[in-house]
Amino acid sequence: MRNAREKNPLAGGLLAILLLGAAGPGGAEAPFVRNGEAGFVVSFIEYGLSGDAQETGACPAGMTRNLPEIYAMTPQGKRREGESDEAYMDRLREAAGRLGTSPDGRDLCMHPEAGEPDPWFRTVEGSDMPVYGIDLDGEVSDNDFPGMSGGTGIDNQWYRVVGCSRSYQPAGQSNGFNIAMLTGSWGILVRLRGVDDIRNDDHVEVGLYANADPISLSPARKPLGYATYAAEPDPRFHATTTGRIEEGVLTTVPVDAMFRNEVNSMYLDRPLRDARLHMTLSENGLMEGYLAGYTPVEDMYNMQYGYRNGMTHAGELAPLGLRSGSANGAAFVLGHTCHGAYHALQQHADGHPDPDSGKYTAISTQYHIRAIPAFIVAGAGISPNPAQPTREEAGR
Amino acid sequence: MSKISRRGFLRGTLQGAAVGVGLPLLNCFLDDSGKAFAASGRRIPVRFGTWVWGCGFIPELWIPTATGTEFELPAHLAPLEPYRDRLALLSGFDVKLDGVPNKPHITGCLGLRTGIPVPDLKVKAPTLDVLISDQIGDTRFRSIEVCSAGIQRSYSYRDAGSPNPSEISPLALYSRIFGEGFQDPNAAQFTPDPRYMVHKSVLSATQEERRALMGEVGAEDRQRLDEYFTSIRELEQKLALQLEPPAPVEHFEMPGAPPETPVDSEMENVMENHRLMAGLLARALQCNQTRVFNVLFSDTASNLRRPGSSSTHHTLTHEEPVDPQLGHQREVAWFAEKSMIAWREFLDALSAIPEGDGTLLDNCLVLAHSDCSIAKAHAVEGIPVMVAGNAGGRVRTGFHMAGKADPISRIGLTVQQAMGLQVDRWGVLSMETNRVIPELLA
Amino acid sequence: MRAHAKLVNVHRGLPAPSALCALALFALLAAAVTGCTDRGEPVLREPDPVGGPTLLRRLTQSQYRATVADIFGTDVPVVARFERGLRSHGLIAVGTGEAGISAFSIEQYDAAAQGVADAILGEEQRAEFVPCQPRSTTAFDTECAGAFMGQYGPLLFRRPLTNEQTQRYLEAARLGTEKLGGFYEGLKYALVGMMTSPQFLLRIERAQPDPQRPELLQLDPYSKAARLSYFLTDSTPDRELLRAAGAGELDSADSLARQVDRLLASPRFEGALRAFFGDMLEFDLFDDLAKDSEIYPAFNSDVAADAKEQTLRDIVHHLVEQNGDYRDLFTLDQTFMTRPLGIIYRQPVPARHDWERVQLSHDGSRLGIQSHVSFLALHAHPGRSSPTLRGKAIRNVFLCQEVPDPPANVDFSVVQDPSNTYMPTARDRLGAHNTEPACSGCHKVMDPVGLALENYDGLGHFRARENDAVIDSSGFLDGTAYEDAAGLAAALRNHPETSRCVVEKIYRFAVGRDTVWDERAYMDYLIAAFAESGYRVPELMRAIALSDNFMAISPPDQTPVGQGLAHNQSDGRNPS
Repeated sequence: MRNAREKNPLAGGLLAILLLGAAGPGGAEAPFVRNGEAGFVVSFIEYGLSGDAQETGACPAGMTRNLPEIYAMTPQGKRREGESDEAYMDRLREAAGRLGTSPDGRDLCMHPEAGEPDPWFRTVEGSDMPVYGIDLDGEVSDNDFPGMSGGTGIDNQWYRVVGCSRSYQPAGQSNGFNIAMLTGSWGILVRLRGVDDIRNDDHVEVGLYANADPISLSPARKPLGYATYAAEPDPRFHATTTGRIEEGVLTTVPVDAMFRNEVNSMYLDRPLRDARLHMTLSENGLMEGYLAGYTPVEDMYNMQYGYRNGMTHAGELAPLGLRSGSANGAAFVLGHTCHGAYHALQQHADGHPDPDSGKYTAISTQYHIRAIPAFIVAGAGISPNPAQPTREEAGR
Repeated sequence: MSKISRRGFLRGTLQGAAVGVGLPLLNCFLDDSGKAFAASGRRIPVRFGTWVWGCGFIPELWIPTATGTEFELPAHLAPLEPYRDRLALLSGFDVKLDGVPNKPHITGCLGLRTGIPVPDLKVKAPTLDVLISDQIGDTRFRSIEVCSAGIQRSYSYRDAGSPNPSEISPLALYSRIFGEGFQDPNAAQFTPDPRYMVHKSVLSATQEERRALMGEVGAEDRQRLDEYFTSIRELEQKLALQLEPPAPVEHFEMPGAPPETPVDSEMENVMENHRLMAGLLARALQCNQTRVFNVLFSDTASNLRRPGSSSTHHTLTHEEPVDPQLGHQREVAWFAEKSMIAWREFLDALSAIPEGDGTLLDNCLVLAHSDCSIAKAHAVEGIPVMVAGNAGGRVRTGFHMAGKADPISRIGLTVQQAMGLQVDRWGVLSMETNRVIPELLA
Repeated sequence: MRAHAKLVNVHRGLPAPSALCALALFALLAAAVTGCTDRGEPVLREPDPVGGPTLLRRLTQSQYRATVADIFGTDVPVVARFERGLRSHGLIAVGTGEAGISAFSIEQYDAAAQGVADAILGEEQRAEFVPCQPRSTTAFDTECAGAFMGQYGPLLFRRPLTNEQTQRYLEAARLGTEKLGGFYEGLKYALVGMMTSPQFLLRIERAQPDPQRPELLQLDPYSKAARLSYFLTDSTPDRELLRAAGAGELDSADSLARQVDRLLASPRFEGALRAFFGDMLEFDLFDDLAKDSEIYPAFNSDVAADAKEQTLRDIVHHLVEQNGDYRDLFTLDQTFMTRPLGIIYRQPVPARHDWERVQLSHDGSRLGIQSHVSFLALHAHPGRSSPTLRGKAIRNVFLCQEVPDPPANVDFSVVQDPSNTYMPTARDRLGAHNTEPACSGCHKVMDPVGLALENYDGLGHFRARENDAVIDSSGFLDGTAYEDAAGLAAALRNHPETSRCVVEKIYRFAVGRDTVWDERAYMDYLIAAFAESGYRVPELMRAIALSDNFMAISPPDQTPVGQGLAHNQSDGRNPS
């Protein structure tokens, strides 16, 4: 089962980085596979969602609003005659503060469960617009969407929740967290072992790890291939499973995985239950496709809205002011309410029902990712070199 | 004030050959302009500089068809239209090899600057800017060399072992000229710092080693020791200047520090660094930090390049095929034109400084030249040369002259005379000449 | 067997009659270097010394910094910009004997001296550096100033100061104290004076008669100390070496050997090796190196620094720690790497911020220092590789073989642009080099060697193809055929010129000039000794340091100026 050499052109913009020759003559391994092992670092990531709501018509009832906008729709919230911009803004802000606090004085971003479901938090009602992603549960149900490149039964309830939020439209800011990944505060590694043939192999070992090192970038800030990364030593961030490659497409058996997220200097967990890969693998080692699964809604809320359990770099809970300020600030800028998001998440969850209440606790999530070859080494303690000071510490 | 050593002048003689460098009449050329800057009736010094760009030109896009004062500027000279009257275009002057092997991009450049063709970097005479700075360079810096393409080389040589290095970073240039040790000529107060006096006298004491050492070393090394002591003396002079109040300079404004810029050979970075350094150089000339400068815009084997291109300007001159429609190499022409635009920007920097009744450019003589004419063939015939500025009235411009294969040393001889050197012959063998270019001298 | 200096004169002339001797006589290259012991074993013997002229040498940047660090300690900063070294006969070390001293460099040396003086005479530090306390900080104290001068003067001048010199600097210090109102301010300028003196900035070699050889001279003791020290440690003679010089110990073989062995065993010996190989490998050209960031995004200034360090570290590790054969540098399959380099070599580097010992390539195809990024990237263009530059570099750097400059009227139009599909690989494009008669003479010498390395692009990444065509990296090196870069590595290792060349270069590096014609027998001796020692570079350096010729000076009127063994190497860059 030695490799064939058909071309497998890939979409995605990283070919210039890795001008690799094809494998040498005579049945040698593809250049990025060594002794059956191939490592990758995710070089690009975003949520797989859908097109712009205006074009797909996904939001006939309008888009989600933030608290000042909601207040501005009430009679008291209208601008008074002769009221200056500044005074009006102040009044809106002050009202937002009130509306963002529960009757018993708790901040609704930190305690969204204390708030009522928000009628102004719009979600996607229909199911006929095509979305990015793959079928997770093997069924086609009413809530499933058609796929972008054909196919049906795509599970993407996270899209349903955010599809009518302005910041999650293609031109919005919420789906640009790739930039944070490129700053090196977190990352994702994939390792394949037992690869005999990159086109067709019915059994490969697969590992998903959080990256302990910042991604290596070129001066133009593009990820460089064949860098070396250590996996996070904490085994919470290791997930191993198996997979197969069929006609160049890698698919894996679902496994619970854990990665990291970082927002405004706060570290958060990024769990993905039943995580699986669906990636097209090219002969020069570029992979593109989906990392998909179910995110527990409480964690999704923390990651994207509330930051309730945001930690400092030292591993302590971040100050309340930072967590609450960031959450409220994000809600204002990105155009949603915390409690609205929370309840929408609860409402549209579709995975992992609670054994007692039967209520779903996780929501189908599609990450669209690209990955490039990388060497993955074990974390600190395995390297033969004793712990060395960093370059900066050594004054080099 | 500095005395020019006889030895320093004669160092350039080629054993026996008739490089007849006249002995300077020292007294009458000592420029006491350091004292003469009264508010009125002052004498503004004349400055000299060279501006070198690499890999020649595209003849049909550079050489005007007509000679004399009525001519059209071809496409690559079009950017210089505003300076038409202040430019003398000299085409068709040759470096004569006399059988000396032509080292590409070197022999032409150094032949032009020394009057002697050499097959490598071992010059046999000082370059003409050094001869001129020996004459007029009694300023804080005898001369300043800069290169905008990230190469520390200049083509200013005192002798084979002694090139003058170029500044490559605008920020470093700024610190060197306007950083510590700079005295603002228009500063209200001047208090001489006694440290300079002590420092200077310590350096003078070093000269006491001279005689003993000269006796100890071999003949070849005596020259190098001589250069060492001359350099020490220059430093002494610099310190001596610190002890005198600098003459006030009208219109002088202390420049701000330039930003830190990438220093490499990418075209846009080179243009930017060139602009920054030209501006600093102009200010330095204005307040007499130096009177002689050498700018290397791009290395003679031009390392300029465009981002994403696998070839430099120089490589393209050899490998790019001629475009059948244009009749010349398209990419090479792009670099050649950029070089002329940069030259224009250099003149802009000099003209932006008001001085006397006109601008700094009026009091400069800038000799712009390349290392070859047709880079593909490394041809040293017809190397393009331009003289810019009026040298305080000593030089006439506004014409195009065809050299008709005359030796290019005529230009060097003329320029040295214009700068006041008492020299009537220059160059060796076929480049030995005593014929100046009368159109150039006022 | 260590190559000891020489036999006593008794064994000059005809060897003792033994079959082994006769064989040895015929077998070895130059009769002048061999003799036999009584037992008939062949022993290498140094030929009569020839010597060369005394030199006036500038300090290189690394030497200047090391000198200041050795005299004043590593905390004292050297803030100066150094000019580029002048390369002559392939080495900057030789250029130090030819380079002038421009006004710019005096300016910089002066600034550096002031920086050093400020650092050691500042309020907090002066107690550490000044060996005495003045009676008053505002008045001149001759004794204390004298003690300060006495401590640093001989170290700076590399010999004791004359009375005149001492007086001169005392006077400077006194003047300074008077005018500036402080004792330490005065000392500062005295120190600046010493550090801008030619006695410090220049290595001025002086000769004296040689009692054993009236027809020759020899270096005087302090010149010997300086030559030894800068050769074996790339830095200034330490107090012990200066003491030995003053006591005449450098004139006697045994005590000289003691000093040489002491220097070889010191931690500074590594600095000398790094200085030599950095010079030989032309690492100063890295300052000019630019790579196109779109074509080679993995290149940055960290990578450039790491690339040099990788090669130097490998060399020191192999030659010193492993006591290895010099020739094996061309076939090393292991190396030190950092993560930024790992990206280019496509090798995993577990250590996060440090050097890790790894295989040079996962399949053993990449071997030797000529396959390091420091060689491949340096001898290439910003956006592509260059077989010609690499071939020329292998010839010049490793084999001491001259390649003349190209003719000025060369027409490159036959060389198509690099993306031409009809001539996809460099081998195809350079075909014209080998068919045009004006080109082929030299290019036949350069191109095949450089083409062997075409599997490595302009930065050093491995590639099997160029423009989709498979790269053919076979060729010949002076009669030895090879299939690929690994074959070239073996050919280079076994080439007879490889070891000869490094011997010549190390000798030139040590004396600071080209070899002279009459030294050819001495060269043969050194080369034979090198081979006998198993091509061990520290042994070679020891043999040179202990040889008579190393310290010999030819009388001035007989100095054959400018007659090198090889004709002058071009030191300018070749724009190909």
